[in-house]
Amino acid sequence: MMFQIIKNEWRFLIRSKVILGASLGFIALLIVSILLGNFQAKKQEANYKEAKDFVRQQWNDIKEMNPHGAAHYGTYVFKPSNLLNSLDEGVNGVTGNIIRVEGHVQNEMVHSEASQMQVVSKFGKLKSSLLLKYIVPLLLIFLAFHAVSVEKQSGRLKILLMQGSKPSSIIFGKALSITLYGIGLLTVVVITQSLLNFQNLDSEIIKRSALFFISYSIFYFVICGLTIFFASRWQNSTLALTSMLSIWILWTIFLPNILLSSVEDWHPLPSREQFKSAMKEDRSKGMDGHNSRDERSKAFEQEILQKYNVDTIADLPINFDGLRMQADEDFGNKVWDKHFKEIRKVLTTQKRSLQLCGIVNPYLSLQNVSMGFTLSDNLHHHDFLAQVETYRRRFIKILNDEQTFGGSKTGQWDWKASSDFYKSVPDFEYQPTALSSVFRNYLLDLGLLVFWLFFTVFLLSRASKKMPIL
Amino acid sequence: MIRLQNVCKSFKGNYAVQNLDLEVQKGEILGLLGANGAGKSTTINMILGFLKADSGTVEVDSIDVARNTQEVRKLIGYIPENVNLYPYLTGMENLDYFCRLAGLKYAKNELESYLTNCGLQLDAHDRKVGGYSKGMRQKVGIAIAYAKKAKVYLLDEPASGLDPLASNELSNLLKKLAEREATILMASHDIFRVREVCNRIGILKRGKLVKQLHSSEVSARELEQLYLEYMQN
Repeated sequence: MMFQIIKNEWRFLIRSKVILGASLGFIALLIVSILLGNFQAKKQEANYKEAKDFVRQQWNDIKEMNPHGAAHYGTYVFKPSNLLNSLDEGVNGVTGNIIRVEGHVQNEMVHSEASQMQVVSKFGKLKSSLLLKYIVPLLLIFLAFHAVSVEKQSGRLKILLMQGSKPSSIIFGKALSITLYGIGLLTVVVITQSLLNFQNLDSEIIKRSALFFISYSIFYFVICGLTIFFASRWQNSTLALTSMLSIWILWTIFLPNILLSSVEDWHPLPSREQFKSAMKEDRSKGMDGHNSRDERSKAFEQEILQKYNVDTIADLPINFDGLRMQADEDFGNKVWDKHFKEIRKVLTTQKRSLQLCGIVNPYLSLQNVSMGFTLSDNLHHHDFLAQVETYRRRFIKILNDEQTFGGSKTGQWDWKASSDFYKSVPDFEYQPTALSSVFRNYLLDLGLLVFWLFFTVFLLSRASKKMPIL
Repeated sequence: MIRLQNVCKSFKGNYAVQNLDLEVQKGEILGLLGANGAGKSTTINMILGFLKADSGTVEVDSIDVARNTQEVRKLIGYIPENVNLYPYLTGMENLDYFCRLAGLKYAKNELESYLTNCGLQLDAHDRKVGGYSKGMRQKVGIAIAYAKKAKVYLLDEPASGLDPLASNELSNLLKKLAEREATILMASHDIFRVREVCNRIGILKRGKLVKQLHSSEVSARELEQLYLEYMQN
């Protein structure tokens, strides 16, 4: 019976020239957004490859150079894009995509698109998720708010019930048919995206796309179900539309800002200045790699002299400057880890609190999983930064070790490592965050979406029991 | 076939139906006359199971409506004042859809024959209902009940707004259904149509059945006179 109701609703959607026209127009817009997203992603990928190759070539072109000089010269790491990024821009537009890797300091990422393109900073990029998250739910609300009341107002509801339809079949049938409309639009996006990137599809991308699809489908059911619930509850379609639009505005505009600000107030991060001065303070307690007269440097020198059983650093078979540089680096890394551990702790607490807010706002949960499954969230960004920092440490250690053990003596700052050595320094290779880790991180959001799904089913069941017929 | 015994129904303390006793037999057409608010629609809604009587019993084919609403609904074909079908479906598709909801699947020729039997001209079968007249929609409404093999037909102001020709066609159709042993209860304001179609007539006033008579007992003019007297007293 429910199948017949769904089939009939779809006949209405297909035969209504206004809805069909609007749907075709919207599908065209979705396809344009996917094409644009893919064009941007491919352009970004080409730029990434070109820049990466250029920087590596620069590095490979080093003929001879002092390793510590090379550590200061440094290199650049570029954040790679993923083809799923073209679905949801996430935080990528504001986080930047280039980071300089050098000795002594952990640089921040620069060159965000938002800082370079006014349109991005003001409106964000036209990505499919923008339409799927904001516009499709609005379409669903406009389709659903009248679906039940029109049956009552026209008097068809009585005939439907006399023909044996149950109120629950009518209510769930209507909610599902309109949800399927949203899922249809979602399918257009996922299929078009897959066809455009058919050669690059792998099991990871398919799994992520499937989770993206499921999350949006659940959210669309929640939107349709709540609209139908209000429509059957208020007995007034205008009131139902107003209620649902108010909820929509609350969910998408006010609550995210209010909740985010509250979470930041409850779990504050230190200001940039506070963070920098705390780091500087702690860093000053360590060794200065460039200052041989520093007290801690002197103590370290004694330690090494004892270890090698010599009296002066001139007698050392190695270059003590390299060791001192690495010891300075190791201390700096500890300071960095200590402060970043705190920062990460606060960020994790903030994230968890914001995730919990999904209990009052499923839109937040959808936003989290949408970014998470398309690799454009903070988790992937922080994971990238962590990988860059790991690489930086390895990169600097290789250079300091060459300074120390490569054949030079202490004080030989003009000693140069060969071109072959520089060619042998490994390049940065990004390993995307494993889906299992992403899934674990967003289990709460998925759980809350499922909670909203069941809550909506509960509300619809109640509405069907109390459905006003006369 | 339809039996109401001592039925009362009130809304916020006001009686809509009071101590109503009513019976309609198989093959009989009973017309309920009454002013607006007399209790005609309340009576129909209680038989349909959409309203529950405060007291008394409502039975259809000896089945208590309050206890077995779904069972009773299977027996009833309901034709409201305005049969608002799905305007984007054709007459055939509407009939097919409502039949399928009732668990009935008919072949195209069977659906056509139901519509034709209910007086809908053949060239209208495959036209969208959005372009139908009220009379044509009424015919599809009756075809839905007929295809459901309803034993009981409840019609709420069926002739209201119909042109004389369509109204006459409706009368003939109802008579044909009664000849096929259908039980028909019709609520109406149209004294002349009720006199012409129904075997028996009941006059409702403020929820009470104040008069019952056979249509053969009175002419249309006498019935009108009688009705006015009851309404004015």
